[in-house]
Amino acid sequence: MEIFFDYLSNISDQFIDPKKRIFFIYILISILIASLWFIFIKKLTLLESLRTIFDKKIFFSKSAKSDYKIFFINQLIMMLTSPFLVAQLTIATALYYYFHTLDWLNSGMFNQLPVNYVILLFTVFQFVLDDFSKFIIHRWMHKWPILWPLHKVHHSASVLTPMTVFRTHPIEGIIFSLRSSFTQAISISSFIFLFGSSVDLYTILGVNIFVFLFNIFGSNLRHSHIGIRYWRWLEHILISPAQHQLHHSIAVKHYDKNFGSTLAIWDWIFGSLHHSVEFETLKLGINNNKYEKNYDLKYLYFQPINEINDYIVSKLKKVKNIIMKPFLKGKYLNES
Amino acid sequence: MKEFSKLLILFLLVSSFSNNAIANSVYGPFPITLQGYTGDKTNSVKYTGQMARHILHDSLKSIVKTGDVEKMMAYYNGEEKLQILAPKSKDDFVIKQTMVSDVGSGNLSGKMYKGAIPGWGNLTGPEVIEHMINKAGEVSGGFDPDTGFDYTQLISKFAMGAVFYNQAANNYLGKKMEIGQKPNSKPYKEGAYYTGKEHSWDEAFGYWGSAAHGLSLTAEQSYNVTKRKDMASADYNSDGVVDLYNEYTFAHAYYASSYDKGGKTNYLATINQAFIDGRKIIADANGRNLNFDERTKLLNQRDIIRDNWQKVIAESVFKYAGSTYKDIVALETIIKANGDTSDAFRTYAKHWGELKGFALALQCGPENLGETAVKLNRMMGLGPVLLNASQVVGIDSNGNFIKDQAQDWNEFKLHMLKIQKLMVDEFGVIAKSKDQLSEMTALAGSMGNSDSAEND
Repeated sequence: MEIFFDYLSNISDQFIDPKKRIFFIYILISILIASLWFIFIKKLTLLESLRTIFDKKIFFSKSAKSDYKIFFINQLIMMLTSPFLVAQLTIATALYYYFHTLDWLNSGMFNQLPVNYVILLFTVFQFVLDDFSKFIIHRWMHKWPILWPLHKVHHSASVLTPMTVFRTHPIEGIIFSLRSSFTQAISISSFIFLFGSSVDLYTILGVNIFVFLFNIFGSNLRHSHIGIRYWRWLEHILISPAQHQLHHSIAVKHYDKNFGSTLAIWDWIFGSLHHSVEFETLKLGINNNKYEKNYDLKYLYFQPINEINDYIVSKLKKVKNIIMKPFLKGKYLNES
Repeated sequence: MKEFSKLLILFLLVSSFSNNAIANSVYGPFPITLQGYTGDKTNSVKYTGQMARHILHDSLKSIVKTGDVEKMMAYYNGEEKLQILAPKSKDDFVIKQTMVSDVGSGNLSGKMYKGAIPGWGNLTGPEVIEHMINKAGEVSGGFDPDTGFDYTQLISKFAMGAVFYNQAANNYLGKKMEIGQKPNSKPYKEGAYYTGKEHSWDEAFGYWGSAAHGLSLTAEQSYNVTKRKDMASADYNSDGVVDLYNEYTFAHAYYASSYDKGGKTNYLATINQAFIDGRKIIADANGRNLNFDERTKLLNQRDIIRDNWQKVIAESVFKYAGSTYKDIVALETIIKANGDTSDAFRTYAKHWGELKGFALALQCGPENLGETAVKLNRMMGLGPVLLNASQVVGIDSNGNFIKDQAQDWNEFKLHMLKIQKLMVDEFGVIAKSKDQLSEMTALAGSMGNSDSAEND
């Protein structure tokens, strides 16, 4: 019974906690931004704008419905697994101990710096490190054949809604969760070690100010059918919603582009930046969306595990062949 | 009229309950239960010798800085006609007694932990104290800048463990609680008006150091009694003076109050309650030997007392490891800026001395701490790391300190953190005063797990 109430509160937290992406205020602001975009840029009337934003075909599509189901299932899975994952504080403590063993570092060596300076530095560092780690993990999810089957679940969405952020395979969810723990541990331990007790975050509603701004400026529109584009120069710095939508495109030329979360500079540096295109020209999903199974929960949850298994088995076979090759050759030679 | 009598009965019931409540929160009086006793005593509680030893300890602590070995030894040995040097009256906090003998008689020397002390050159308990006292006589102000030893802290914190904790936990609540030892059907000693078990339990309570009415005080009040700032809380019988026998907070009971007032722990009340509950079990046996059930219940209370007492000492080790860590950071900052380190070094040595004293005290309990003790002693060192990168590492056969190259500062700091972790892992400390990881814990807590498991 307690688990059930925990579960309900976890679900409701997603909508009422400013640390969460779909906090209702962020959703409302996203709707406002989308309306302004349609009215002023696309020259639609208010009514037309609202009709486009709340498109029934999108929100009641098979793809979106599977997003919703995955949301409810994953919340339960994460609730049950998270106590077993290594906590950020455990990693932070280990790192904090480790820093003491380094001769060239001293704890509190910069504790004389003005507090505001330290807080600003920490806020920026934490945000940048977090964003970079999201980028690099995302890149690996695409580039490493053993990880792609997991991430494919997310890309199997043929329409995007704000709930698509939850369309994540639970194993991928665990990887993301560990990523978050590690990055927080690194920033917390190194800053407390070097700067002492003045370390803090600039926050709004308890959220890192940069993350808050990201959410206020329509982070929910990344997964939507509202193709807001930025100026070209800005798309080198920040990923626009349309750039992320392009990341979900089926077109081969859009493969492995725009891995970034908030900042586009990582894609720029790693050569995977692609400027946005008109949303209407994009087709979203994978494999031309020819598989009806893409919306079948059993398939979405278990197929990645099968694929990973097949991948490992095929690799092991290859290794076995390489190791056995000289013996086999010798055997044949002796026989001849 | 009927209504009136109902009200009267109700009033009597309520007031008898509340009297019970008050009675329950004070250690004593408890009735005489000794079979065949014909004297005129009505209260079987007596622990005057223990309170005299608390006063000897407080007084000894106050004169270490004089370097007067003879005087220190007088208090250590509990000689006759000793004045109470501490605690003394302060402002409106008027203390009833002025001579140790006004409270009771006893000494510290005869009650010391007799085992070897690995953390201090493997000397025996009495040898350690005497070694420290003699060394204190060789320096000025009880502090040796060459070794970093603050003898006031070392002597006081070690003695509290080696006498009070040792006597209570090992002897009175240990050996003397065993079957056949100090039976409840006989007087504690010939001619006594209290039984064997009654008096053993009372002596343990005396060593604990709480005021008899400690359970009726908040942690803050109990703490302020020791600070001589709260006359109203101390003077339980409202006679205008504080009786050091049963109205004052000494030693580990004081440290328990200091942690409890942080709100996370309840050591003082837990231990006081267990002492009172245990004493009631003995009183209820009414002068016969305890049966199996009573004995089991009594030993349960005993375990509560010993476990929590050990935790109070472990909390102190935790706290001073944290203070030492902070002091080193402060020292490093001053050194970097080419400043004067003398004050900061003095503070560091004081806190390290408290850490060392409490760590040695922890090893005077009933439990063989084994590997934990080895780790603890090695990590804090025999002496603190000194500014010239040396450290006392041993004691030679003449009692002189042997110095060698010290641990690296960073390593020493890490050891302080690991000592804190050891106290959490091995003893489950909760108050965690001066937690060097608390800032990290708080920051991690405030950041929480944002949208971590989602696909951006």
